[in-house]
Amino acid sequence: MPLKRRTWPWHLLLAVILIGLTASLWIATKRINYEWRWDRVPQYFAYRAELPQDSPVAGRISAITLAGTSSHIVIAPDNEGTPVTVTVEKSKVAVGDTVAEGDPVGDEFEWRIGPLTQGLWVTIWLSFISGLFGLFIGLITGLCRVSSNPTLRGLAIFYIELIRGTPLLVQIFIFYFFIGTVLNLDRTVAGIGALALFVGAYIAEIIRAGIQSIHKGQTEAARSLGMNPFQTMAYIVLPQAFKRVLPPLAGQFISLIKDSSLVSVIAITDLTKSGREIITSSFATFEIWFTVALLYLLVTSVLSQLLFWLERRFARSD
Amino acid sequence: MIKVKNLVKVFTGRGQTVRAVDDASTEVAKGEVVVIIGPSGSGKSTFLRCLNGLEEFDDGQVVIDGIDIAGSKTNLNTVRREVGMVFQHFNLFPHKTVLENVTLAQRVVRKRKAAEAEDRAMQLLIKVGIAEKAQEYPSRLSGGQQQRVAIARALAMDPKIMLFDEPTSALDPEMVGEVLDVMKQLAGEGMTMAVVTHEMGFAREVADRVLFMDAGRILEDSPPEQFFTAPKEPRAQMFLRQVL
Repeated sequence: MPLKRRTWPWHLLLAVILIGLTASLWIATKRINYEWRWDRVPQYFAYRAELPQDSPVAGRISAITLAGTSSHIVIAPDNEGTPVTVTVEKSKVAVGDTVAEGDPVGDEFEWRIGPLTQGLWVTIWLSFISGLFGLFIGLITGLCRVSSNPTLRGLAIFYIELIRGTPLLVQIFIFYFFIGTVLNLDRTVAGIGALALFVGAYIAEIIRAGIQSIHKGQTEAARSLGMNPFQTMAYIVLPQAFKRVLPPLAGQFISLIKDSSLVSVIAITDLTKSGREIITSSFATFEIWFTVALLYLLVTSVLSQLLFWLERRFARSD
Repeated sequence: MIKVKNLVKVFTGRGQTVRAVDDASTEVAKGEVVVIIGPSGSGKSTFLRCLNGLEEFDDGQVVIDGIDIAGSKTNLNTVRREVGMVFQHFNLFPHKTVLENVTLAQRVVRKRKAAEAEDRAMQLLIKVGIAEKAQEYPSRLSGGQQQRVAIARALAMDPKIMLFDEPTSALDPEMVGEVLDVMKQLAGEGMTMAVVTHEMGFAREVADRVLFMDAGRILEDSPPEQFFTAPKEPRAQMFLRQVL
């Protein structure tokens, strides 16, 4: 008999627990008589907008011909000019009707992206830009933090402690209302600035830990070959440190995506703010919040898969 | 080639001060092979590391090829180009292939073109007998192979002096020979070398002079024949009784 632990009972238990959780959620919503309206959600991703088509002249509808999904409406003007044709998808008039100039004769339709998609997009690029700036700030600060120069080190510690010791929400308010007013910043710029400064402080600590985890012998070997401190950092220490800190860095970027929801307080229409706006018009509170949560989950899982892939690529030299 | 005068290195920490190198003076001529031996903690590695400024020293003078390395106008990085160093734990760059390990400093420090650097690297890898591993990462190599790559990496800068800091201490016994052979070959080619080692056979065979250090001081400085057969210092006699 092989020495192997049986794991299937535990998998079964896991399934039972998950099903139980879902069931209790369902029962809970039953008890408060909530009417689920999931059919209302898709229109907030993308919808077909109605575009009314007006008659350019006053006259009479002389003919309507169907061509595929659209219809050509021919209008004979009252002043005996050349007949005008208007193409619509949905006709609102019949042959023989009289129309005045500017009267709608039918509708054209066009796909438009909805507020959820727009909000998702804002969240993604907002996080991306502030993550990029944050990485840059974090790298510089992390290097200052391990510097032997007391001024640089002191400044780095001051910045990191300041950011880590105050709530992000407060930082966003200060950035928007104080710094934003003084420097006359746009709300988006203020939001990106606040997020970048916030994530930069955490990345700085990650970078510092990464640099310090690289064995002293690496620096000594590089210096003994005549490399200067900058070359040693750029070619030897940082590439190794970066590879090592990729997992915590990934966690930090995932946090950033979630923390970016806080910029909705300064009226940036990100995913969270879009969700709130949709609820005021649709009243589908539960559905929208669940959808918003799922969308965040989607973005963060894609990112974590991406970084996991990167991590495996870097593992080549191990 | 190397001139050391009254070198002092003091370590302080936890309320203790240790004079790791205590008033050491010596000279190494061009083409000479000097082996430094002594009990552990005697300051021989620290002494060696002072020679290329990896360790800052508290007093005294180190002159490499006519340049005072502590001089206010001295660029330590340019001195270090001329002084190769091989470490106990190899310290190869794990994120670079063997070839990249040997070419990197040539390109970054010596500003050689990629093709030129690779040519030089392959010459040296052939010389240390490891050319077939050029595209491997160091983690795939045995200790002896890694140390030979480390020697090639140092030689790629075309240094005038080579320092060896216990190059065989971290190796499995059967790999010591291959590294020592490379070092013997180098010595035979007239390289100026300072070697800290516990390999008495190597010292006896290759060294022009043996320095014996204890408690930071250079107690003996004599040719190997004399040192191994008739050491003057009682401390050296005791040490030799224990290791031979």
